[in-house]
Amino acid sequence: MNKIAKLFITFISAITLTLASISSSFAKVEDGYIVLGSAISLTGKYSSNGVHTQNGYNMAVDRINKMGGVKVGGKSYKFEIIYYDDESNPKRAAQLAERLIKQDGVHYMLGPYSSGLTKAIAPVTEKYKIPMVEANGASRSLFTKGYKYLFAVLSPANQYLEVAIDLAVEKNGGKPVKIAQAFEQDAFSQDVRLGILDAAKRTGSKIIIDDKLPKELNDMAATLAKVKATKPDVLVVSGHTKGALTAIRQISEMKVDVPMLAMTHCDAAKLSKQHGKNSEYALCASQWHKNLSYKDKFFGGGKKYDKDFKKEFGYAPPYQSAESSAALLVFKDAFERADSFDRDKVRDALKATDMQTFYGNIKFGPGGQNVAKPMILFQVRCKGDTCENKVVAPTKWASDKFFHPIPPWSERG
Amino acid sequence: MEKVKQKDLILYSGLIILGLAAPYLFSAFKVQLTYLCVLIVLAMTWNLQGGEMGYNSFGNILFYGLGMYLTASVQVGMFFPLAEWTESGGEKTFVHTTAQYFQGIGVGLLVSAIIPAIVAGAIGYAILGLRGHYFAICTLGLGIAAGEIAGGIEIIGAGQGFTTPPFPAEIVDVEARGKFFYFLSFFVLVLAFVFVKYIYGSRFRLILNAIRDNEDKAEAMGIQTMKYKIVGWMVSAFFCGLAGGIMGGLIGYIDSTDVAFDGREMGVFMVLMAILGGKGTLWGPIIGATLFHFFKEGLWTFILGWQYVALGVLIVVIVIYFPEGLMGWLREKYPERFGEVIDEKDRKSQVELK
Repeated sequence: MNKIAKLFITFISAITLTLASISSSFAKVEDGYIVLGSAISLTGKYSSNGVHTQNGYNMAVDRINKMGGVKVGGKSYKFEIIYYDDESNPKRAAQLAERLIKQDGVHYMLGPYSSGLTKAIAPVTEKYKIPMVEANGASRSLFTKGYKYLFAVLSPANQYLEVAIDLAVEKNGGKPVKIAQAFEQDAFSQDVRLGILDAAKRTGSKIIIDDKLPKELNDMAATLAKVKATKPDVLVVSGHTKGALTAIRQISEMKVDVPMLAMTHCDAAKLSKQHGKNSEYALCASQWHKNLSYKDKFFGGGKKYDKDFKKEFGYAPPYQSAESSAALLVFKDAFERADSFDRDKVRDALKATDMQTFYGNIKFGPGGQNVAKPMILFQVRCKGDTCENKVVAPTKWASDKFFHPIPPWSERG
Repeated sequence: MEKVKQKDLILYSGLIILGLAAPYLFSAFKVQLTYLCVLIVLAMTWNLQGGEMGYNSFGNILFYGLGMYLTASVQVGMFFPLAEWTESGGEKTFVHTTAQYFQGIGVGLLVSAIIPAIVAGAIGYAILGLRGHYFAICTLGLGIAAGEIAGGIEIIGAGQGFTTPPFPAEIVDVEARGKFFYFLSFFVLVLAFVFVKYIYGSRFRLILNAIRDNEDKAEAMGIQTMKYKIVGWMVSAFFCGLAGGIMGGLIGYIDSTDVAFDGREMGVFMVLMAILGGKGTLWGPIIGATLFHFFKEGLWTFILGWQYVALGVLIVVIVIYFPEGLMGWLREKYPERFGEVIDEKDRKSQVELK
């Protein structure tokens, strides 16, 4: 046994030495760099949206650094981001947030992708009083907890599809409608569901199907079979990228006829490209669209952002990228107004944010959510074989008329 | 219980001093150290029935997740209406006072140790009759089913997840939370170690080994194998529940399939750590968990996006080159260091070197 003991003591001392030698930490502002930290989903079920988010961040960092950086106290600083992969797992995300703050010495954070992960990170940033600007956590419950250091550039999740129900009622001559809905079992989609419940109550509509979809979903045939049998007026589906893809794939396979189909994450799923004509008439909630008329001096307008992003990354930016870029604009603006690296001053400056970016107006409500920007709805429309997302609501930016009802599959080519 | 020898005493007191000093020595690593303690507890208790009893369970994650939900639910439910706490749309925010927080987590942890043990007893009674692969697959199903069920129960947040009570704001020291959870997990680790060590010196372990080596023969010798199998699993469940309860509080947010019933990660990790270190040994799971944690924390950030590929390679390497784990490999190489006196005559007559 004493031999094992010796072995063990050697082992422990080796570990101790290793730990002691690596426990140096970076400074938050060093050599003219402002270091931001972010845990992002590079693997796991949110990996595609995680990459959209990261691309959005990187694009803005490059652009801001190229255009003179951030001016604080008469000196110009550049942004730099430390990334970790949170594996789409809240447990890992919380641990990495701790690591960024404690070991890498990060004093300002950018959000992860998805509400669930943001929910896991927010208690950590709050504890250490680290301002976090997040662009991808829309769950309403994030904004009711009284967090003081959390700022979201997006509209809360419950607003995503409420408008769609109003639209359906309007098309039904103001009479209540029958709603079928299916939502993934996660924080974001469940909040979208709460929004629909509110809208249904307000309009007196009836929910006839209310299904839950598993995470990592790839089959919702059971729900669709019920939809076929009960003939609702609206079908609402939300389950991130996979939810959108699964819904369209199976609706077209099973030839499910429903007058209106409302979804989320259509552009992140590149629905119009992947499913072409099968995705036509799908109505999608979006935080942003390139046709909106917002402007800023870094990216110009939405169309220019779209072009630049395509050039850099080879695909059209989904709103997840746009809102992520906007998060950095917010940070830059706050640093310059605070004119200091004092965290509380930066936080107060963030709180007082009132600006326009290419992505939309940004002004934070008491809970940290963006209250200055409405959600938009677009509809997938096809001309020949090319399909595009056309904005249909709100009317201020609508480029096309909302097409209703969706023609039955027997009449679609 | 075997007498603690003087040299062991030095080793143990050294380790305890190191454990107590760690959060001060490596202040920035407190959370990782807490994870390490929890991982060791999970690996060590998995080893009890996976290594000693030979019943490979992928279902221990069930008790871990159960402990997590129970601790959080008790901690909230003791003082506030649980349903309102978890209802995501609720505008009300409840705040625990310092006393409430600690009372809640104390009672919660107690519940989260006892109930999983009882559940293990009940489930064990039903399924421990299965052997080999059948038992492994059955327990795999348990963890997955639990995740899906928890994701549908509204009162614990369903798909929305469950935000556990934040550390009391009245304690101004930002380090306090990290220290609290570290010492809590270290305490559970010591408790688990003492208990497992005690089992290693008892007849109970021999019975578990007998079940592993030949269950029918053990039964024929008059051992009520079912009883011992159930008790063995209950011990694992007891500590898994505690570990889960601590992790819930530490992470601050419980998600049904990604955090609590996280069979894909924690559930696999605990098996992997025990096998890496050497199952069926006292120190194996501890060394395995430590190495694994260091590998994960140290290496993973350098291979962003490829870490699971690296993990896969690691598993393959372990299985091919160290099928008996690190301890088993060392033991085979230096048997004399493990206090095994090699008697050449005896060795030749021995059929199997264990």
